[in-house]
Amino acid sequence: MILAKGRLWDSGRQDEILSGLEAYINRIRSTKRLLRETVIRAVDALGKRLEAGEFDAQLVDLLGAADARRIKAEAALAMRREALEYRCGLELGDAEEAALPVFGEGGIRVRARLEPLGTILHIAAGNADGMAAFSAFEGLLTGNFNIVKLPSADNGLTLTILEKLIEEEPELADFLAVFDTPSSDTAAIGKMAAMADGIAVWGGDEAIRAVRAAASPGVKLIEWGHRLGFAYLSGYRDREEEYAALARHIIETKQLLCSSCQVIYLDTARMEDCEAFTAEFLPVLEKAAREHPAADIGQQAQLSVRTWCRRLERAAARAGGNDADRDDRGARVYEGENCSLTVCRDSALELSPLYGDVLVKRLPEKNLLPVLRQAKGRLQTAGLIASDEKRERLTELLIRAGVCRVMTAGHMSAEFIGGSHDGEYPLRRYVRAVNIETE
Amino acid sequence: MDFRKELFSGRDPYDTEGTDALFAAAVRENARYHAAHCPEYRAILEDFGFSPDELQTTADLGRLPFLPTAFLKTHRLFSMPRARMPIVASSSGTSGKASEIGMDFGSLVSGAKMVRRVFAPRGILSARPCHYVVFGYEPRISNRAAAAKTAFGYTFLAPALSRVFALRYREGKYVPDLDAVIRAFERQEKSPFPTRTIGFPAYTVFAMKRMRERGIRLRLPPGSKIMLGGGWKQFWREAVDKNELYRLAEETLGVPEDEIIECYGAAEHPILYCDCARHHFHIPIYSRVLIRDARTLEVLPIGRVGLVNLITPMIRATPVTSVLTDDLGILHPAEECGCGVKSPWLEILGRVGLADVKTCAAGAAELLGEGAGT
Repeated sequence: MILAKGRLWDSGRQDEILSGLEAYINRIRSTKRLLRETVIRAVDALGKRLEAGEFDAQLVDLLGAADARRIKAEAALAMRREALEYRCGLELGDAEEAALPVFGEGGIRVRARLEPLGTILHIAAGNADGMAAFSAFEGLLTGNFNIVKLPSADNGLTLTILEKLIEEEPELADFLAVFDTPSSDTAAIGKMAAMADGIAVWGGDEAIRAVRAAASPGVKLIEWGHRLGFAYLSGYRDREEEYAALARHIIETKQLLCSSCQVIYLDTARMEDCEAFTAEFLPVLEKAAREHPAADIGQQAQLSVRTWCRRLERAAARAGGNDADRDDRGARVYEGENCSLTVCRDSALELSPLYGDVLVKRLPEKNLLPVLRQAKGRLQTAGLIASDEKRERLTELLIRAGVCRVMTAGHMSAEFIGGSHDGEYPLRRYVRAVNIETE
Repeated sequence: MDFRKELFSGRDPYDTEGTDALFAAAVRENARYHAAHCPEYRAILEDFGFSPDELQTTADLGRLPFLPTAFLKTHRLFSMPRARMPIVASSSGTSGKASEIGMDFGSLVSGAKMVRRVFAPRGILSARPCHYVVFGYEPRISNRAAAAKTAFGYTFLAPALSRVFALRYREGKYVPDLDAVIRAFERQEKSPFPTRTIGFPAYTVFAMKRMRERGIRLRLPPGSKIMLGGGWKQFWREAVDKNELYRLAEETLGVPEDEIIECYGAAEHPILYCDCARHHFHIPIYSRVLIRDARTLEVLPIGRVGLVNLITPMIRATPVTSVLTDDLGILHPAEECGCGVKSPWLEILGRVGLADVKTCAAGAAELLGEGAGT
């Protein structure tokens, strides 16, 4: 379905709607102005409906009970008026028009204010349900006209959210056009991109590369690409408690989030230390996996089939004359119940096999920065477990290496209002600063 | 002794009980063949300490190590040189990765016999010519997807007067052209010969829904059939209630429910499951189906929900004797259908999406692999 001009249309009318969209956007932009207060009121009201349980059944149906609970709680918090106002204050600063100081002889008088970028095309990834709606909220909050291309796996959630938002404030309908165009329809996406002043793209390298290739050089690209998280261990405050928190984080997020722990780095150069750590940590990880069993049959199947496949892989590798306990890079897998630890010989930051299968690597402090720099542009969250005397120094070092969030290991994926997103304040990217000379 | 040949020559395609001993012998023969010719498969059996000789009755089938489709998508396993495979079919690759399944000559002969037997009760093999509307891919040499081959192959089950394809190859990609399909239906309504539609249920439903939206109500000639197969693919969330589909077909095309035939199959397990008059997939003699617990992967008793494990001795080119799909299903006793077919029937409840999970972290890794060089 397509949502445009405040109503739903059959997907078959896409080309017809697209061909009239530029004129429509121009009319809206030249005659209407979206007030921030209107958007805040609508998002806040919708968040209250979400909190009250109006969408519970749909969310559980789409996400499973555990994820639905978590995502509902996160979304409800982010949609509150206080949160939105706080974010606008923090990210946009004082948006009121301000007079710039006059410098120099015969200086000119200039006023400055933030204005919407104009028209933003949102292209969202399929892996985060409802993400496209949140991207659109940010576009609306900054006063833009928003064209949303739904991810193929959106399953109707984004459209439902945006429809309900319009119910709260019908005025918002003027600033939204939502298309269920498949990614393969590059001609249609090209037309959308041609109307945009900025393109916000959420997704993998493939999506981002496609957008970079299609966008004209003058368009502002707002890329929310994929990131990798890791834990860094150098001593501890309370080993039992901190290991348990890290294990819970790994199992609960299934390592699927950008902030999830993929690699556990140990501050050591010795392989024996890795083996010793594995012996200590695997039982803790197993305990977390037992305490947070896969919620539904699909997740259970994922875990059991993956474990089965790993066994087949080892057997098949043996047929090729390889050491079955080590892969071709010499990594050794330690199997636990519905989880595993793989001790690797290298230090590169990379994706783990996910779902409770974590990589363990050596990374002595002196190599920390050069090794992490290899992953530049992909760094996001570090979970730090360290003794008190090292904590501050290591935090600084991680940040210098390019990490954007340094958290305790248990809070690697914690969401909080006003948090940076991949090192940026998103709203700032959806506006432009304008100067007007005064008489 | 060629037990496969004997099994696929059986007269009653649903006499599973009467063929149990033969089936076990054919699977034993097949597993032995793969163990002898595919080193990886042999190593897997050894890892589980399993010898094909242990397959004495169908009760032993559950102990034969199975290969998940997810494993087949990342491992190309063959038990004979490619030169001896007339066909290498690939799975649909709904989630990006596809498995490659070799088909030896004997498996094709077996398959042809199977198609004839399984389709006979539903009147699909016919000398009466008909028009075909394929809700699938227009054939191209480079399209190796099993679904494309199957759908095209079905257009030979009765002489073809014409073939119209819903997914057309234009400028390097397949694009759906449902309007062309609807125009074909409008022409065929006036034909003295029946029409058969074949292919993906999702596109079939899309076309009928579009007709309903436009108020187009046709009466296709008597004997016209709607054949559904190939799964819902990426549209599985849109899978409509079957009864809604039957209503749509009657309303828009004038095709009654008993002329709607659904098939189930997979590239990794090319056995033809054709629904009965009551729309249930009974197990044919060529395969056995086990349902496995999603957590323990142990075999579940009949009537419980779990992962669908499909077993057949049909193929010698690739060791797909026992394949674990990512479909969730349930096995029902024959009596729960009551159509008269004697074998149990399989109900597919959905897909767990083992390979479909695309994570944000996963995409990051792809990029790192290129740039980092570590």
